[in-house]
Amino acid sequence: MLGLGIESTAHTFSCAIVEKKGKQGKILSDVRKIYRPPEGEGIHPREASRHHAEHSSEVLSECLRKSNVKIDDLDIISYAAGPGLGPCLRIGAVVARSLSSYYDIPIYPVNHALGHIELGKMLTGAKDPLVLLVSGGHTMILAFLSKKWRVFGETLDITVGQLLDQIGRHAGFASPCGPKIEELASKSIEYLPLPYVVKGNDVSFSGLLSATKRIIPKGIESACFSLQETAFSMMGEATERALAFTGKKELLVVGGVAANKRLSNILSSICARHHCKFFVAPKEYAGDCGSQISWIGLLESSKKPGVNLENTFVKQSWRLDTVEVLY
Amino acid sequence: MKLVKKGAEADIYVTTWNGQNSILKIRKKKDYRVNSLDIRIRTLRTIREAKMIYEVKSFGISTPIVYFVDEKKCEIYLQFIKGKLVRDLPMKQIVKICTDIGKIVGTLHKNGIMHGDLTTSNFILSQRGLVILDFGLSQKTDAIDDYAIDLRLFKEVLNSAHAQIVVGAWASFIQGYQSILGNTLTERIVNQVLVIEKRGRYANVV
Repeated sequence: MLGLGIESTAHTFSCAIVEKKGKQGKILSDVRKIYRPPEGEGIHPREASRHHAEHSSEVLSECLRKSNVKIDDLDIISYAAGPGLGPCLRIGAVVARSLSSYYDIPIYPVNHALGHIELGKMLTGAKDPLVLLVSGGHTMILAFLSKKWRVFGETLDITVGQLLDQIGRHAGFASPCGPKIEELASKSIEYLPLPYVVKGNDVSFSGLLSATKRIIPKGIESACFSLQETAFSMMGEATERALAFTGKKELLVVGGVAANKRLSNILSSICARHHCKFFVAPKEYAGDCGSQISWIGLLESSKKPGVNLENTFVKQSWRLDTVEVLY
Repeated sequence: MKLVKKGAEADIYVTTWNGQNSILKIRKKKDYRVNSLDIRIRTLRTIREAKMIYEVKSFGISTPIVYFVDEKKCEIYLQFIKGKLVRDLPMKQIVKICTDIGKIVGTLHKNGIMHGDLTTSNFILSQRGLVILDFGLSQKTDAIDDYAIDLRLFKEVLNSAHAQIVVGAWASFIQGYQSILGNTLTERIVNQVLVIEKRGRYANVV
Protein backbone atom coordinates (compact mmCIF):
# COMPACT_ATOMS: atom_id res chain seq x y z
CA MET A 1 0.00 0.00 0.00
CA LEU A 2 1.36 3.42 -0.97
CA GLY A 3 0.70 6.60 0.97
CA LEU A 4 1.66 10.21 0.39
CA GLY A 5 2.14 12.31 3.52
CA ILE A 6 2.21 16.10 3.62
CA GLU A 7 3.74 17.92 6.56
CA SER A 8 3.43 21.70 7.03
CA THR A 9 2.83 22.36 10.72
CA ALA A 10 5.65 24.87 11.29
CA HIS A 11 8.91 25.67 9.47
CA THR A 12 9.08 22.48 7.38
CA PHE A 13 7.17 21.72 4.22
CA SER A 14 7.66 18.09 3.38
CA CYS A 15 6.19 15.38 1.16
CA ALA A 16 6.99 11.71 1.60
CA ILE A 17 5.91 8.44 0.10
CA VAL A 18 5.85 5.41 2.35
CA GLU A 19 5.03 1.84 1.39
CA LYS A 20 3.28 -0.39 3.92
CA LYS A 21 3.44 -4.17 3.69
CA GLY A 22 1.70 -5.90 6.57
CA LYS A 23 3.12 -4.17 9.64
CA GLN A 24 6.33 -3.11 7.92
CA GLY A 25 6.86 0.34 6.50
CA LYS A 26 9.44 1.50 3.99
CA ILE A 27 10.18 5.15 3.23
CA LEU A 28 10.53 5.50 -0.56
CA SER A 29 11.20 9.24 -0.53
CA ASP A 30 11.07 12.13 1.92
CA VAL A 31 11.69 15.60 0.51
CA ARG A 32 11.79 18.78 2.62
CA LYS A 33 12.10 22.51 2.28
CA ILE A 34 12.68 24.43 5.49
CA TYR A 35 11.71 28.05 6.02
CA ARG A 36 14.57 29.99 7.62
CA PRO A 37 13.71 33.25 9.34
CA PRO A 38 16.36 35.99 9.46
CA GLU A 39 18.95 35.67 12.27
CA GLY A 40 17.60 36.63 15.66
CA GLU A 41 13.97 36.23 14.58
CA GLY A 42 11.43 33.46 14.99
CA ILE A 43 8.92 31.93 12.61
CA HIS A 44 6.55 34.45 11.11
CA PRO A 45 3.45 32.35 10.32
CA ARG A 46 2.53 34.35 7.23
CA GLU A 47 6.06 34.28 5.83
CA ALA A 48 6.39 30.56 6.59
CA SER A 49 3.11 29.77 4.86
CA ARG A 50 4.18 31.82 1.83
CA HIS A 51 7.40 29.81 1.75
CA HIS A 52 5.39 26.56 1.87
CA ALA A 53 3.02 27.68 -0.89
CA GLU A 54 5.90 28.70 -3.13
CA HIS A 55 7.77 25.43 -2.70
CA SER A 56 4.89 22.97 -2.51
CA SER A 57 4.80 21.90 -6.16
CA GLU A 58 8.57 21.54 -6.37
CA VAL A 59 8.71 19.41 -3.20
CA LEU A 60 5.82 17.24 -4.36
CA SER A 61 7.32 16.66 -7.83
CA GLU A 62 10.69 15.78 -6.41
CA CYS A 63 9.13 13.41 -3.90
CA LEU A 64 7.28 11.58 -6.69
CA ARG A 65 10.34 11.50 -8.91
CA LYS A 66 12.65 10.14 -6.23
CA SER A 67 10.26 7.38 -5.26
CA ASN A 68 9.39 6.50 -8.85
CA VAL A 69 5.70 6.62 -7.98
CA LYS A 70 2.92 8.21 -10.04
CA ILE A 71 0.10 10.03 -8.33
CA ASP A 72 -2.34 7.48 -9.75
CA ASP A 73 -0.49 4.71 -7.91
CA LEU A 74 -1.16 6.29 -4.52
CA ASP A 75 -3.67 4.48 -2.31
CA ILE A 76 -4.11 7.26 0.23
CA ILE A 77 -3.06 10.85 0.96
CA SER A 78 -2.59 12.14 4.49
CA TYR A 79 -1.81 15.61 5.75
CA ALA A 80 -0.89 17.06 9.14
CA ALA A 81 -4.13 18.63 10.39
CA GLY A 82 -2.60 19.88 13.65
CA PRO A 83 -1.32 20.94 16.05
CA GLY A 84 0.61 23.76 14.42
CA LEU A 85 0.47 27.23 12.93
CA GLY A 86 -2.85 27.87 11.16
CA PRO A 87 -1.55 29.52 7.97
CA CYS A 88 1.09 26.79 7.53
CA LEU A 89 -1.31 23.93 8.22
CA ARG A 90 -3.73 25.28 5.60
CA ILE A 91 -1.12 25.06 2.81
CA GLY A 92 -0.58 21.35 3.42
CA ALA A 93 -4.31 20.79 3.68
CA VAL A 94 -4.98 22.60 0.39
CA VAL A 95 -2.38 20.51 -1.44
CA ALA A 96 -3.80 17.30 0.02
CA ARG A 97 -7.38 18.25 -0.75
CA SER A 98 -6.58 19.23 -4.35
CA LEU A 99 -4.81 15.95 -5.05
CA SER A 100 -7.48 13.92 -3.30
CA SER A 101 -10.40 15.46 -5.18
CA TYR A 102 -8.73 15.63 -8.61
CA TYR A 103 -7.36 12.08 -8.54
CA ASP A 104 -10.09 10.65 -6.34
CA ILE A 105 -7.76 9.29 -3.65
CA PRO A 106 -8.94 8.77 -0.02
CA ILE A 107 -7.72 11.53 2.32
CA TYR A 108 -6.71 11.31 6.02
CA PRO A 109 -6.20 14.29 8.36
CA VAL A 110 -3.68 13.13 10.97
CA ASN A 111 -2.16 14.35 14.21
CA HIS A 112 1.39 15.56 13.79
CA ALA A 113 2.58 14.56 17.27
CA LEU A 114 1.22 11.04 16.90
CA GLY A 115 3.29 10.88 13.69
CA HIS A 116 6.50 11.51 15.62
CA ILE A 117 5.74 8.63 17.97
CA GLU A 118 4.53 6.02 15.49
CA LEU A 119 7.30 6.72 12.96
CA GLY A 120 9.82 6.50 15.82
CA LYS A 121 8.37 3.14 16.83
CA MET A 122 8.41 1.87 13.26
CA LEU A 123 12.01 2.91 12.63
CA THR A 124 13.48 1.75 15.95
CA GLY A 125 11.38 -1.36 16.58
CA ALA A 126 10.27 -0.21 20.05
CA LYS A 127 7.15 -2.14 21.10
CA ASP A 128 5.62 -0.68 24.24
CA PRO A 129 7.77 2.30 25.13
CA LEU A 130 7.49 5.24 27.43
CA VAL A 131 7.86 8.11 24.95
CA LEU A 132 9.61 11.42 25.45
CA LEU A 133 8.44 13.80 22.74
CA VAL A 134 10.71 16.83 22.59
CA SER A 135 10.40 19.49 19.91
CA GLY A 136 9.46 23.10 19.30
CA GLY A 137 5.81 22.23 19.81
CA HIS A 138 5.96 19.56 22.49
CA THR A 139 7.65 18.47 25.67
CA MET A 140 5.66 15.46 26.81
CA ILE A 141 6.14 12.11 28.47
CA LEU A 142 3.63 9.58 27.20
CA ALA A 143 2.63 5.95 27.43
CA PHE A 144 -0.06 4.01 25.64
CA LEU A 145 -3.03 2.78 27.68
CA SER A 146 -6.48 1.67 26.51
CA LYS A 147 -6.69 3.23 23.06
CA LYS A 148 -4.92 6.51 23.76
CA TRP A 149 -1.48 7.93 24.36
CA ARG A 150 -1.71 9.19 27.94
CA VAL A 151 0.32 12.11 29.23
CA PHE A 152 2.38 11.18 32.29
CA GLY A 153 4.22 14.45 32.37
CA GLU A 154 4.66 17.57 30.31
CA THR A 155 5.84 21.15 30.37
CA LEU A 156 3.63 23.53 32.29
CA ASP A 157 4.55 26.46 30.05
CA ILE A 158 6.98 26.61 27.09
CA THR A 159 8.56 23.61 25.37
CA VAL A 160 12.23 22.71 25.42
CA GLY A 161 12.47 23.62 21.72
CA GLN A 162 11.06 27.06 22.41
CA LEU A 163 13.43 27.46 25.34
CA LEU A 164 16.49 26.74 23.17
CA ASP A 165 15.17 28.84 20.27
CA GLN A 166 14.34 31.84 22.41
CA ILE A 167 17.75 31.82 24.07
CA GLY A 168 19.39 31.38 20.68
CA ARG A 169 17.44 34.23 19.12
CA HIS A 170 18.20 36.42 22.12
CA ALA A 171 21.88 35.77 21.39
CA GLY A 172 21.32 36.55 17.71
CA PHE A 173 21.45 33.06 16.16
CA ALA A 174 19.31 31.76 13.31
CA SER A 175 16.38 29.49 14.23
CA PRO A 176 16.19 26.64 14.87
CA CYS A 177 18.96 27.27 17.40
CA GLY A 178 19.34 23.82 19.04
CA PRO A 179 22.41 22.69 17.05
CA LYS A 180 24.22 26.00 17.62
CA ILE A 181 23.55 25.87 21.36
CA GLU A 182 24.73 22.26 21.50
CA GLU A 183 27.93 23.21 19.73
CA LEU A 184 28.66 26.15 22.06
CA ALA A 185 27.77 24.10 25.14
CA SER A 186 30.31 21.45 24.18
CA LYS A 187 33.07 24.05 24.57
CA SER A 188 32.43 24.73 28.25
CA ILE A 189 32.31 22.84 31.52
CA GLU A 190 31.61 25.83 33.74
CA TYR A 191 28.23 25.42 35.40
CA LEU A 192 26.46 28.58 36.53
CA PRO A 193 23.50 27.94 38.87
CA LEU A 194 20.10 28.17 37.18
CA PRO A 195 16.57 27.45 38.45
CA TYR A 196 15.68 23.77 38.33
CA VAL A 197 11.91 23.27 38.37
CA VAL A 198 10.44 19.76 38.48
CA LYS A 199 6.88 19.43 39.75
CA GLY A 200 6.07 15.75 40.01
CA ASN A 201 6.45 14.45 36.46
CA ASP A 202 6.06 17.95 35.04
CA VAL A 203 8.64 20.59 34.25
CA SER A 204 8.50 24.35 33.86
CA PHE A 205 11.00 26.26 31.72
CA SER A 206 9.84 29.88 31.87
CA GLY A 207 11.98 30.82 34.89
CA LEU A 208 14.97 29.06 33.36
CA LEU A 209 14.50 31.11 30.18
CA SER A 210 14.65 34.46 32.01
CA ALA A 211 17.54 33.39 34.22
CA THR A 212 19.61 32.13 31.28
CA LYS A 213 19.14 35.42 29.44
CA ARG A 214 20.64 37.14 32.48
CA ILE A 215 23.79 34.99 32.53
CA ILE A 216 24.57 35.29 28.80
CA PRO A 217 26.82 38.34 29.45
CA LYS A 218 29.02 36.12 31.64
CA GLY A 219 29.93 34.07 28.56
CA ILE A 220 27.75 32.51 25.90
CA GLU A 221 29.49 29.14 26.07
CA SER A 222 29.01 28.62 29.80
CA ALA A 223 25.46 29.97 29.49
CA CYS A 224 24.64 27.40 26.80
CA PHE A 225 26.32 24.66 28.83
CA SER A 226 24.44 25.56 32.01
CA LEU A 227 21.17 25.88 30.10
CA GLN A 228 21.48 22.45 28.49
CA GLU A 229 22.59 20.78 31.71
CA THR A 230 19.72 22.25 33.71
CA ALA A 231 16.96 21.75 31.15
CA PHE A 232 18.02 18.24 30.18
CA SER A 233 18.54 17.16 33.79
CA MET A 234 15.00 18.35 34.55
CA MET A 235 13.61 16.33 31.67
CA GLY A 236 15.81 13.41 32.69
CA GLU A 237 14.41 13.48 36.19
CA ALA A 238 10.80 13.79 35.01
CA THR A 239 11.36 10.90 32.61
CA GLU A 240 12.99 8.83 35.31
CA ARG A 241 10.02 9.44 37.58
CA ALA A 242 7.62 8.34 34.87
CA LEU A 243 9.76 5.25 34.16
CA ALA A 244 9.78 4.28 37.82
CA PHE A 245 6.04 4.89 38.10
CA THR A 246 4.94 3.05 34.95
CA GLY A 247 7.56 0.30 35.11
CA LYS A 248 7.98 0.42 31.30
CA LYS A 249 10.98 -1.44 29.94
CA GLU A 250 11.57 0.75 26.88
CA LEU A 251 12.16 4.46 26.39
CA LEU A 252 11.79 6.12 23.00
CA VAL A 253 12.84 9.71 22.31
CA VAL A 254 11.36 11.50 19.31
CA GLY A 255 11.03 15.06 18.01
CA GLY A 256 13.53 17.64 16.81
CA VAL A 257 15.42 17.90 20.13
CA ALA A 258 15.96 14.10 20.07
CA ALA A 259 18.88 14.88 17.75
CA ASN A 260 20.77 16.44 20.68
CA LYS A 261 23.59 14.14 21.78
CA ARG A 262 23.83 15.40 25.36
CA LEU A 263 20.13 14.68 25.90
CA SER A 264 20.58 11.16 24.52
CA ASN A 265 23.53 10.66 26.86
CA ILE A 266 21.51 11.61 29.89
CA LEU A 267 18.56 9.45 28.92
CA SER A 268 20.64 6.40 28.06
CA SER A 269 22.36 6.59 31.44
CA ILE A 270 18.93 6.68 33.10
CA CYS A 271 17.84 3.67 31.07
CA ALA A 272 20.92 1.74 32.11
CA ARG A 273 20.07 2.37 35.77
CA HIS A 274 16.53 1.10 35.29
CA HIS A 275 17.47 -1.83 33.02
CA CYS A 276 15.43 -0.39 30.27
CA LYS A 277 16.04 -0.38 26.51
CA PHE A 278 16.81 2.99 24.99
CA PHE A 279 15.64 4.00 21.53
CA VAL A 280 16.15 7.30 19.80
CA ALA A 281 14.62 8.20 16.46
CA PRO A 282 17.25 8.38 13.69
CA LYS A 283 18.47 11.98 13.33
CA GLU A 284 17.12 12.29 9.80
CA TYR A 285 13.58 11.41 10.91
CA ALA A 286 13.57 12.84 14.44
CA GLY A 287 12.39 16.26 13.30
CA ASP A 288 9.34 17.20 11.25
CA CYS A 289 8.97 15.20 8.04
CA GLY A 290 6.36 13.90 5.62
CA SER A 291 7.09 10.27 6.51
CA GLN A 292 5.56 10.62 9.97
CA ILE A 293 2.33 11.92 8.42
CA SER A 294 2.24 9.31 5.69
CA TRP A 295 2.82 6.49 8.18
CA ILE A 296 -0.11 7.50 10.43
CA GLY A 297 -2.39 7.67 7.38
CA LEU A 298 -1.33 4.18 6.38
CA LEU A 299 -1.90 2.85 9.89
CA GLU A 300 -5.33 4.48 10.11
CA SER A 301 -6.35 3.24 6.66
CA SER A 302 -6.19 -0.34 7.95
CA LYS A 303 -9.06 0.46 10.34
CA LYS A 304 -11.16 3.19 8.76
CA PRO A 305 -11.97 4.82 5.40
CA GLY A 306 -10.77 8.31 4.48
CA VAL A 307 -12.85 11.33 5.47
CA ASN A 308 -15.16 13.40 3.25
CA LEU A 309 -13.62 16.54 1.78
CA GLU A 310 -15.94 18.79 3.80
CA ASN A 311 -14.35 17.36 6.97
CA THR A 312 -10.76 18.05 6.02
CA PHE A 313 -10.24 20.92 8.43
CA VAL A 314 -7.09 21.93 10.23
CA LYS A 315 -6.96 22.10 14.03
CA GLN A 316 -4.28 24.41 15.40
CA SER A 317 -4.75 23.13 18.94
CA TRP A 318 -5.15 19.40 18.76
CA ARG A 319 -3.82 17.60 21.77
CA LEU A 320 -2.32 14.19 21.22
CA ASP A 321 -4.11 12.69 24.21
CA THR A 322 -7.51 13.31 22.60
CA VAL A 323 -6.78 11.10 19.58
CA GLU A 324 -8.27 7.62 19.68
CA VAL A 325 -5.86 5.05 18.28
CA LEU A 326 -7.61 2.09 16.67
CA TYR A 327 -4.76 0.20 15.00
CA MET B 1 19.92 -4.38 53.92
CA LYS B 2 17.61 -5.21 51.04
CA LEU B 3 16.82 -3.00 48.04
CA VAL B 4 13.05 -2.81 47.70
CA LYS B 5 12.60 -0.08 45.14
CA LYS B 6 14.77 1.79 42.71
CA GLY B 7 12.84 4.99 42.54
CA ALA B 8 13.52 7.89 40.26
CA GLU B 9 14.96 10.03 42.97
CA ALA B 10 16.17 7.61 45.58
CA ASP B 11 16.87 3.98 46.26
CA ILE B 12 14.74 2.48 49.00
CA TYR B 13 16.15 -0.22 51.29
CA VAL B 14 14.63 -2.20 54.15
CA THR B 15 16.93 -2.26 57.14
CA THR B 16 16.82 -1.73 60.90
CA TRP B 17 17.40 1.30 63.06
CA ASN B 18 18.05 0.65 66.73
CA GLY B 19 16.17 -2.61 66.53
CA GLN B 20 13.19 -1.14 64.67
CA ASN B 21 12.25 -2.17 61.17
CA SER B 22 13.21 0.76 59.04
CA ILE B 23 13.28 2.15 55.53
CA LEU B 24 16.53 3.70 54.35
CA LYS B 25 16.07 6.22 51.61
CA ILE B 26 19.27 7.17 49.79
CA ARG B 27 19.33 9.93 47.25
CA LYS B 28 22.22 8.60 45.20
CA LYS B 29 24.48 10.72 43.08
CA LYS B 30 23.21 10.99 39.54
CA ASP B 31 26.03 10.74 37.07
CA TYR B 32 24.12 12.54 34.38
CA ARG B 33 23.78 15.72 36.43
CA VAL B 34 26.54 18.30 36.79
CA ASN B 35 28.06 17.72 40.21
CA SER B 36 27.25 21.08 41.81
CA LEU B 37 23.65 20.94 40.58
CA ASP B 38 23.32 17.34 41.72
CA ILE B 39 24.58 18.05 45.24
CA ARG B 40 22.35 21.12 45.52
CA ILE B 41 19.23 19.16 44.57
CA ARG B 42 19.90 16.09 46.69
CA THR B 43 20.87 17.97 49.83
CA LEU B 44 17.99 20.40 49.55
CA ARG B 45 15.44 17.65 49.12
CA THR B 46 16.80 15.46 51.89
CA ILE B 47 16.72 18.25 54.44
CA ARG B 48 13.38 19.50 53.22
CA GLU B 49 11.81 16.07 53.44
CA ALA B 50 12.88 15.60 57.05
CA LYS B 51 11.70 19.06 58.05
CA MET B 52 8.37 18.71 56.33
CA ILE B 53 7.62 15.32 57.85
CA TYR B 54 8.21 16.83 61.28
CA GLU B 55 5.96 19.76 60.42
CA VAL B 56 3.03 17.80 58.95
CA LYS B 57 3.09 15.42 61.92
CA SER B 58 2.21 18.42 64.07
CA PHE B 59 -1.20 18.65 62.46
CA GLY B 60 -1.91 14.98 62.43
CA ILE B 61 -0.88 13.78 58.97
CA SER B 62 -0.08 10.09 58.94
CA THR B 63 3.40 9.67 57.47
CA PRO B 64 6.48 7.64 58.46
CA ILE B 65 8.48 8.97 61.42
CA VAL B 66 12.03 10.14 60.72
CA TYR B 67 14.60 8.17 62.75
CA PHE B 68 17.77 9.75 61.42
CA VAL B 69 19.02 12.13 58.73
CA ASP B 70 22.50 12.24 57.24
CA GLU B 71 22.48 15.30 55.02
CA LYS B 72 26.08 14.73 53.88
CA LYS B 73 25.26 11.33 52.42
CA CYS B 74 21.68 12.36 51.57
CA GLU B 75 20.24 9.51 53.61
CA ILE B 76 17.10 9.31 55.69
CA TYR B 77 16.05 6.47 57.98
CA LEU B 78 12.28 6.26 58.14
CA GLN B 79 9.71 4.17 59.96
CA PHE B 80 8.75 1.01 58.05
CA ILE B 81 5.06 0.94 57.08
CA LYS B 82 3.49 -2.35 56.10
CA GLY B 83 0.80 -2.13 53.47
CA LYS B 84 0.00 -1.82 49.81
CA LEU B 85 0.58 1.04 47.40
CA VAL B 86 -2.69 2.64 46.35
CA ARG B 87 -1.55 2.36 42.73
CA ASP B 88 -1.66 -1.45 42.97
CA LEU B 89 -5.11 -1.74 44.59
CA PRO B 90 -8.16 -2.94 42.61
CA MET B 91 -9.81 -0.14 40.63
CA LYS B 92 -12.98 0.00 42.72
CA GLN B 93 -10.98 0.40 45.89
CA ILE B 94 -8.86 3.17 44.38
CA VAL B 95 -12.00 5.16 43.57
CA LYS B 96 -13.19 4.80 47.16
CA ILE B 97 -9.86 5.60 48.73
CA CYS B 98 -9.51 8.79 46.69
CA THR B 99 -11.84 10.43 49.22
CA ASP B 100 -9.26 9.77 51.94
CA ILE B 101 -6.48 11.01 49.68
CA GLY B 102 -8.55 14.16 49.16
CA LYS B 103 -8.84 14.61 52.93
CA ILE B 104 -5.10 14.27 53.48
CA VAL B 105 -4.27 16.69 50.66
CA GLY B 106 -6.94 19.09 51.92
CA THR B 107 -5.37 19.03 55.38
CA LEU B 108 -1.90 19.73 53.95
CA HIS B 109 -3.17 22.68 51.93
CA LYS B 110 -5.19 24.01 54.83
CA ASN B 111 -1.92 24.19 56.74
CA GLY B 112 -0.01 25.88 53.94
CA ILE B 113 1.93 22.95 52.50
CA MET B 114 1.97 21.61 48.98
CA HIS B 115 3.19 18.07 48.50
CA GLY B 116 4.64 18.43 45.01
CA ASP B 117 4.49 14.78 43.97
CA LEU B 118 0.96 13.49 44.46
CA THR B 119 0.91 10.15 42.70
CA THR B 120 -0.95 6.97 43.63
CA SER B 121 2.38 5.34 44.43
CA ASN B 122 3.02 7.86 47.19
CA PHE B 123 0.15 6.57 49.31
CA ILE B 124 0.23 3.30 51.27
CA LEU B 125 -2.87 1.63 52.61
CA SER B 126 -1.79 0.14 55.92
CA GLN B 127 -3.71 -1.55 58.70
CA ARG B 128 -3.89 1.74 60.52
CA GLY B 129 -5.28 3.62 57.54
CA LEU B 130 -3.91 5.63 54.67
CA VAL B 131 -0.32 6.89 54.90
CA ILE B 132 1.27 9.56 52.70
CA LEU B 133 4.92 9.37 51.61
CA ASP B 134 7.69 11.36 50.00
CA PHE B 135 7.91 15.02 50.94
CA GLY B 136 11.05 15.62 48.87
CA LEU B 137 9.32 18.04 46.50
CA SER B 138 7.05 19.64 49.09
CA GLN B 139 6.97 23.33 49.79
CA LYS B 140 5.54 25.82 52.25
CA THR B 141 3.25 28.11 50.36
CA ASP B 142 0.05 30.09 50.60
CA ALA B 143 -0.42 30.53 46.85
CA ILE B 144 -3.64 29.11 45.41
CA ASP B 145 -1.67 28.34 42.24
CA ASP B 146 0.63 25.95 44.14
CA TYR B 147 -2.28 24.03 45.64
CA ALA B 148 -3.81 23.83 42.17
CA ILE B 149 -0.54 22.42 40.79
CA ASP B 150 -0.82 19.62 43.36
CA LEU B 151 -4.35 18.86 42.21
CA ARG B 152 -3.43 19.05 38.56
CA LEU B 153 -0.64 16.54 39.01
CA PHE B 154 -2.95 14.13 40.78
CA LYS B 155 -5.51 14.57 38.01
CA GLU B 156 -2.79 13.91 35.42
CA VAL B 157 -1.84 10.70 37.22
CA LEU B 158 -5.47 9.53 37.27
CA ASN B 159 -5.85 10.50 33.62
CA SER B 160 -2.81 8.52 32.54
CA ALA B 161 -2.27 5.58 34.88
CA HIS B 162 -5.89 5.08 35.92
CA ALA B 163 -7.68 6.19 32.77
CA GLN B 164 -10.54 3.72 33.20
CA ILE B 165 -11.67 5.19 36.51
CA VAL B 166 -10.57 8.80 36.22
CA VAL B 167 -14.04 10.36 36.43
CA GLY B 168 -15.13 8.52 39.54
CA ALA B 169 -11.76 8.76 41.24
CA TRP B 170 -11.49 12.51 40.64
CA ALA B 171 -15.03 13.12 41.96
CA SER B 172 -14.23 11.04 45.01
CA PHE B 173 -10.98 12.97 45.58
CA ILE B 174 -12.75 16.32 45.34
CA GLN B 175 -15.40 15.14 47.78
CA GLY B 176 -12.77 14.43 50.41
CA TYR B 177 -10.82 17.60 49.63
CA GLN B 178 -13.95 19.73 49.92
CA SER B 179 -14.87 18.21 53.28
CA ILE B 180 -11.66 19.75 54.69
CA LEU B 181 -11.34 23.02 52.80
CA GLY B 182 -15.00 23.95 52.34
CA ASN B 183 -16.90 24.83 49.18
CA THR B 184 -15.60 28.32 48.42
CA LEU B 185 -11.90 27.56 48.66
CA THR B 186 -12.25 24.24 46.86
CA GLU B 187 -14.07 25.93 44.01
CA ARG B 188 -11.36 28.57 43.72
CA ILE B 189 -8.58 25.99 43.65
CA VAL B 190 -10.37 23.71 41.17
CA ASN B 191 -10.93 26.71 38.89
CA GLN B 192 -7.23 27.46 39.14
CA VAL B 193 -6.53 23.89 37.97
CA LEU B 194 -8.39 24.75 34.76
CA VAL B 195 -6.33 27.92 34.40
CA ILE B 196 -3.12 25.88 34.69
CA GLU B 197 -4.38 23.36 32.17
CA LYS B 198 -5.10 26.19 29.76
CA ARG B 199 -1.50 27.36 30.10
CA GLY B 200 -0.44 23.94 28.76
CA ARG B 201 0.36 23.26 25.15
CA TYR B 202 -2.58 23.05 22.76
CA ALA B 203 -4.93 22.90 25.69
CA ASN B 204 -8.58 22.92 24.85
CA VAL B 205 -10.20 23.08 28.23
CA VAL B 206 -13.88 23.90 28.28
